[in-house]
Amino acid sequence: MQEKTQSPYSPEVLSRIASLKIRALNLVEGLLSGQHRSRHKGSSVEFAEYKDYTPGDEIRHIDWKVVGKTDKYHVKQFEQSTNLKATILLDASGSMGYVSPEPGGRPSKMDYARTLAASLSCLLLKQFDAVGLTVFNDRVVNHIPPRSKASHLQHILHGLAAIEPAGVTRLGDVIGGLVERLPSRGLLILVSDLFSAHDEDLEKHLKLLCSRGLEVILFHLLDPDEITLPFDGDILFESLEDDPPVGVDPEDIREEYQKLLMRQIETWKRDMPGLGVDYVFLETTTPLEQGLSYYLLKRNSLIK
Amino acid sequence: MSLNFLSPVYLFGLLGLAVPVLIHLLTRRQQKKIRFSAVHLLLQSQKRSVRRSAPNRLLLLLVRCLAVALLSLALASPIFSLSGDDDLLGAGPRAVAFVLDDSYSMSWQAGEGTVFQRAVETLLGEVAALPGGSAYSIVLASSPARVLLDWTGDKAQAEKLLKSAGASHRATRIDEALAKAVGLLEAAPLKKRRLHLLSDMDQNGWTGEQFPEAMDRIPARVKLIDFSGLRTGGNRAAVSAVEVSQEFLTHSRVVRVKARVVNLADNEPISRLPIQLWTGKKKQAEGFIDLAPGGEAEKTFSFPLEGSEPIDGRVTLQADSLTADNARFFTFQPDQNIRVLVVDGDPKTVAHQSETFYLETALNPFSVSLSNIDPTVSTLSELADRNLFDYSVILLCNVREFPVGYELELEKFVMQGGALFISLGDQVAPKYYNERLGNLLPVTLDALQQTGGGDEPFHLNLAGNAHPVLAIFTKKEIGEMEDIRFHSLYTVSPREGAAMETAMRFKNGFPAVIESSLGRGKVILYPTSIDRDWNGFPIQPTFLPWVQRWIKYSARSLESLLRQDLLVGAPFQWSEDSSWVQTPGGRLHPLSPENDGFTFQETHAPGVYRLYRVTEEKEAQALAAQAAKRPVLQLPAAARPRGAFTVNVDLRESAPGKIDPEDLKERFPGFSFEWTSPEDSERGAQAQGFPLATPLLLLMAGFLLFEGWMVRRE
Repeated sequence: MQEKTQSPYSPEVLSRIASLKIRALNLVEGLLSGQHRSRHKGSSVEFAEYKDYTPGDEIRHIDWKVVGKTDKYHVKQFEQSTNLKATILLDASGSMGYVSPEPGGRPSKMDYARTLAASLSCLLLKQFDAVGLTVFNDRVVNHIPPRSKASHLQHILHGLAAIEPAGVTRLGDVIGGLVERLPSRGLLILVSDLFSAHDEDLEKHLKLLCSRGLEVILFHLLDPDEITLPFDGDILFESLEDDPPVGVDPEDIREEYQKLLMRQIETWKRDMPGLGVDYVFLETTTPLEQGLSYYLLKRNSLIK
Repeated sequence: MSLNFLSPVYLFGLLGLAVPVLIHLLTRRQQKKIRFSAVHLLLQSQKRSVRRSAPNRLLLLLVRCLAVALLSLALASPIFSLSGDDDLLGAGPRAVAFVLDDSYSMSWQAGEGTVFQRAVETLLGEVAALPGGSAYSIVLASSPARVLLDWTGDKAQAEKLLKSAGASHRATRIDEALAKAVGLLEAAPLKKRRLHLLSDMDQNGWTGEQFPEAMDRIPARVKLIDFSGLRTGGNRAAVSAVEVSQEFLTHSRVVRVKARVVNLADNEPISRLPIQLWTGKKKQAEGFIDLAPGGEAEKTFSFPLEGSEPIDGRVTLQADSLTADNARFFTFQPDQNIRVLVVDGDPKTVAHQSETFYLETALNPFSVSLSNIDPTVSTLSELADRNLFDYSVILLCNVREFPVGYELELEKFVMQGGALFISLGDQVAPKYYNERLGNLLPVTLDALQQTGGGDEPFHLNLAGNAHPVLAIFTKKEIGEMEDIRFHSLYTVSPREGAAMETAMRFKNGFPAVIESSLGRGKVILYPTSIDRDWNGFPIQPTFLPWVQRWIKYSARSLESLLRQDLLVGAPFQWSEDSSWVQTPGGRLHPLSPENDGFTFQETHAPGVYRLYRVTEEKEAQALAAQAAKRPVLQLPAAARPRGAFTVNVDLRESAPGKIDPEDLKERFPGFSFEWTSPEDSERGAQAQGFPLATPLLLLMAGFLLFEGWMVRRE
């Protein structure tokens, strides 16, 4: 599938960035009510404790006074306010570009995903966490490493705005390729519709990620059309990815389709917690605040 | 293999196919295109889903279309046949030559009407059923065969020509008709050619000489529609011949009619079959006749002759299913009064010694009304007072000389049709005869031959003599005549270049009667005496009929022309110009010149035909000019009746038996005649055809049930 190239500074992208920022900030301002504590120790102004020096620790953190007193090397440890490295892994395959043909101004999955990613980025950066963005379809299309600077939001937003959904989804392959590049600890936020015919190894790769200490949150995005198949009449369905077109009366297969989809969703819901993956199912009609608050609640409960 | 439809108009019902198609189109939703994300899921769902509404709708359309088509086809009553080599659908323009048998055997009763009427109905039905753009022609298969209608596409013409037509009185001529039809087909305007023969397959019609050639050239399939099965009742008997004679030398004038009747059934005798004799509208006699199976019998009627008018009559049998052969016509011309002038060259005061005593008695033994000969005896001295043209025959008996210049009167008389009978005797001067009657007599008188003493007299030699005058004499009577002694006679020598015929001879070769024609008349020379002076003939019983017949013969009323009995359709031939024939229906037709004579072809109906001659040249020319413009309804008063002839049906047509299909196959190997009955033909089906209506209706019912099940399921 030919990818549509768009200048990162095109007016369209810039306006999309602006609107994304406004939406994200609005959301985050309304939701955020404090920081969360990190359970990781790191460099900070607030001393926490000493620990025996081990090779590899920075020498500048050796408390020479303690060495002098005890003749043992101790390293000072400080309470680190934040050191979370979050990576947002955003599916930009063709299927994410689905726009409902029904008139009603419902956002596309991609728009919803962009807003979600922007909001999460904003939220994380406000907490001084580092946020990165990796956009993929059958491969990594764009990768923005995690940074905690406030100005990093602009990069993220830019990256989000520049996304044009295209290509097929190969989530398993992409995650497999990213395993080494992602920080060993941190947060991986995966946003996808999970419509992939080529992801037999996805669960394996997710399990691998979790085993490396990554906390994985999977936002499963679907348009209501994709759930209910509300169409009528003789319809030729053309794939947004690489599937062959299907001419069918949706009425004939609606029941079977819904059954099939719900079975998949149930499978995700059932299997993901077992892997250590936090699975969040979102319809694009669900208000984003709802999704985010759910996330925050869940995060807080996890930290406590 | 062929498929025909008895009611092809119902095929228009196929237009009803539009209804299910319209329903399908109107209920069909427009196919939309949607770009969708989870197409692989749709694919999986489609594979798992049992429902298939789109194909079902197509199947529904197909089933409905089939149901409508089957209903339409079933109503059109299709007949399927494997035997015919026609096109499967039998459609397409074609050229059909119809050979319609209109012989009189086709007038056989068939229910309310006749076989011919049924054949016409069938033919008109076939013409009406011809596909558009077809052409047809009609040939009538009676003798002589003729083309009734040349190639045309106008279906109304056949009806116009045949609707009120009936069978003819002719015999069948299938061979000639087929030859004509083949000729038409060779010039047919279309490639697809058919020959349909509608006949009762009477055996008589299949005996022709033109068959082999014609059959070899038939460029089309031949369909034989056999109407013999429609006949109702039987053809029991037919009058095969009628002979009419007038009883001769009896006190009363009686006409005797002898009818021969044949039993046409080989296995059934007929007893007391009513038979009647009619003259004009009067029933003269009736009786009954018994007939053995396949046998013949004669019935003789007699009735008194009234007047001397010609008799037109018929002998009829009780009507059966084929009436055309139940009557046979005859005509009889009773002897007319012939005015005869007898010139006695040797009159005596004692009557029986006169030259003409025996002759006069023989000519009119009782009265004029019996002999039809009205003699007037005259002496030479009275001759100047007689108008020769008041008489038909003049007899010169032993006349020495005529008044001066009288021989010229006699020549004129003979030239204009009169007859001159000359007998000799002792008064006759040969020199005078040879010099003065050179134009009348074809011979010269040589010498008087006399037998005397012990000489053997002269005897007539009549053995093998076929002269019409002698035709009525029996063998015994001939023998008696040969015994007659002739003592004296003149020998004669033919004149140079003169045409003559020696009608009778003596045994020694001397001529006994010399006959010659002059102008329109005849001259008869009897070179001996007509009284007893030179022979003993006048006192013989045979003298009377012999003399009377010679008079009638010379006056051309004996066995004249016209005792002709023709078959229907046969031409009548005649030698005189300005002659007209009046048909039994009363129509007048001039004779057409043909070769050296004249002919009349329109002998279409059985009956008595009268012949007239217009003798006045001016009137004849005026009549011919009138005939060229419009039909002649009346002949001028000067037209003289010349006699009559009869036309009767050809009894071969009545002969039982019809041509056998197997016989036909043997006679014409290599041809596949499609032998069919009128019912099958009228239904447009082959004899072996299988009607498909019921199977189609059952199939349609099945489709409708299936359709109902599908709709309910949906």
